[in-house]
Amino acid sequence: MVNLNAVAPGGGREYYVALGLEGSANKLGVGVVKHPVVGKHEGGDFSYDCESQILSNVRDTYITPAGEGFLPRDTARHHKNWCVRLIKQALEEAGIQNAAKDLDVICFTKGPGMGAPLHSVVVAARTCSLLWGVPLVGVNHCVGHIEMGREITKAVDPVVLYVSGGNTQVIAYSEKRYRIFGETLDIAIGNCLDRFARTLRISNYPSPGYNIEQLALNCKKKDTLLELPYTVKGMDLSMSGILAYIDNLAKDLFRDNRKNRQLFDRDSDEAKISVEDLCFALQENLFAMLVEITERAMAHVNSNQVLIVGGVGCNLRLQEMMQQMCQDRANGQVHATDERFCIDNGVMIAHAGLLQYRMGDFVKDLSETVVTQKFRTDEVYVAWRE
Amino acid sequence: MSEDVLAKVYEYLTPGLPVVPIAQGAEAVVFTSEKHPYLPNSGKFILKYRPPKRYRHPSIDKALTKHRTIGEARLLTKLFLIEGLKVPKLIACDAYNGYLWLEFLGEELPHGKGFSNLKNFLWMYATDDGDPYCSIVEETLKKVGQQIGLLHWNGYCHGDLTSSNIVLSRSGKNETSWQPYLIDFGLGSTTDSVEDKGVDLYVLERAIISTHSAHAEAYNEWLLKGFSEIYKRYGDAGEVKLKEVTKRFQEVRLRGRKRSMIG
Ligand SMILES: Nc1ncnc2c1ncn2[C@@H]1O[C@H](COP(=O)(O)OP(=O)(O)O)[C@@H](O)[C@H]1O
Ligand SMILES: [Mg+2]
Repeated sequence: MVNLNAVAPGGGREYYVALGLEGSANKLGVGVVKHPVVGKHEGGDFSYDCESQILSNVRDTYITPAGEGFLPRDTARHHKNWCVRLIKQALEEAGIQNAAKDLDVICFTKGPGMGAPLHSVVVAARTCSLLWGVPLVGVNHCVGHIEMGREITKAVDPVVLYVSGGNTQVIAYSEKRYRIFGETLDIAIGNCLDRFARTLRISNYPSPGYNIEQLALNCKKKDTLLELPYTVKGMDLSMSGILAYIDNLAKDLFRDNRKNRQLFDRDSDEAKISVEDLCFALQENLFAMLVEITERAMAHVNSNQVLIVGGVGCNLRLQEMMQQMCQDRANGQVHATDERFCIDNGVMIAHAGLLQYRMGDFVKDLSETVVTQKFRTDEVYVAWRE
Repeated sequence: MSEDVLAKVYEYLTPGLPVVPIAQGAEAVVFTSEKHPYLPNSGKFILKYRPPKRYRHPSIDKALTKHRTIGEARLLTKLFLIEGLKVPKLIACDAYNGYLWLEFLGEELPHGKGFSNLKNFLWMYATDDGDPYCSIVEETLKKVGQQIGLLHWNGYCHGDLTSSNIVLSRSGKNETSWQPYLIDFGLGSTTDSVEDKGVDLYVLERAIISTHSAHAEAYNEWLLKGFSEIYKRYGDAGEVKLKEVTKRFQEVRLRGRKRSMIG
């Protein structure tokens, strides 16, 4: 039986406090979360309801100029520059005066992610740990998203669609692990959107995906949808075909290549397809594929709850489509969160790390804090669930 | 399943046709009927309906529904003629509206363990006092592998191989051995591409790992064993093809592992 109260909070407190550090991609996030000690957590699977309080959640995103992606080295430099400032700010906002006494654990992202940025953040985590004498917990980034999503939405046992810059997975829990039922066979959804945005020099602020979403809203020809190579294989999907196809169109549109008769009218030379039309078609196709594989997984595991997590998960069109699918499917429910929790953040690392810590699983030796670029969701032993 | 969808079906069908909803699959709503759609025969028949999906753009929706319904009907007719391959018999197809009539297969498993698809069957042996490695399980999984081998050897792919899409049938109540049938060919294709076959096997392997985690290693081995047996029947040519497919299968698997996974 799961006992989340196995390890008592420090300093005779009636609650746990965790600091979380996240920097696996271009966002640096620091958060502080508090879990009260609750009696019911001693016997049963209540990991979705920790009554957690978010004491602070600060973030700084490394934004590159339009048309450019973020490189590991520059991103790591950004994180190094901002790490101390953000940690100070997060502690201050959380009202933590004496970190050595007031913190139970420091949680950091162990992976997956970009090596250099991950590394720059774990160095800060180790330093704080040694400085304050507070134990460390390494957290799987995807599990962080899932647990935060469950805690915020109170979804007990959902099928999870995890959609972000580097990941596209359909996940469900079974036998102590988050199992991957479906995933991309090639590139991730966020990657696909970002690369398309780069070709068209769409701004990276606040994120390329957000700007594509706004452009798509302004599509004037929603009835005539550009046909793209829709590719679903069982519960998996492939997006490289769509990207290659639409990226070619985007290049010609950007360069104003009138020879492309699919884009420019033969007689008048006027553009028949606009940037907005491309954004709309891209979203409609990609999201339909995502919703379809999610529905396939729901059918396979007999579930009617969906939780959407990850940066692309704040897209309202995706949420709306998922909602419609679930309604038509045995009155299912969709759970999603807003940008505070969908987009990478420190709180989710703190929350998931604290769950792990409360089960007695924390770093005993610094050699266990090596970060890793590849770290599959199903590698994590989920001790805190039944 | 939602009332709206059911209402739509009842409105569309001949009044008084005794169809009962039994399952909501990955994309279709499935009914049984005691009556044949147009012959005076009675028995047990399946009506598989792909309702329009509100969530996707109407032009994507129409194209997919039509393509998959026709595709499934066409494949089933071809596959039904292949010796040794077991698929449900196609009775009727109304592609524009997304309806298929099929022969009913399978039965209820004992002790309320649900319908006799491979998933429930494996779960039945994995729980309580069942033995997940008993010879019936092994034999059945090898037969499933053989079915997939026959499918691939003859130039077809399934596109959605999961333990939900394999139905087990017994010739009689006292019969202990099960005959697997492949169902749900909506994502299937006629193809000689090694890549498609590699992906098909990869999708199945992953479905087994996620759904039957504790015993997946042995299960996948048995499946592959049955699969290989079919190819090996065809001598050197078979061996060569088998090598091609399994090599690609491993490549696809490796691609999955190597894929960068930046949060
Ligand atoms: N011929 C059949 N005999 C018995 N049951 C069937 C048959 N075809 C489908 N079913 C049942 O309906 C479910 C959904 O059908 P399927 O063809 O897999 O559609 P979907 O594409 O929606 O998954 C199956 O998992 C199975 O339980
Ligand atoms: Mg199915």
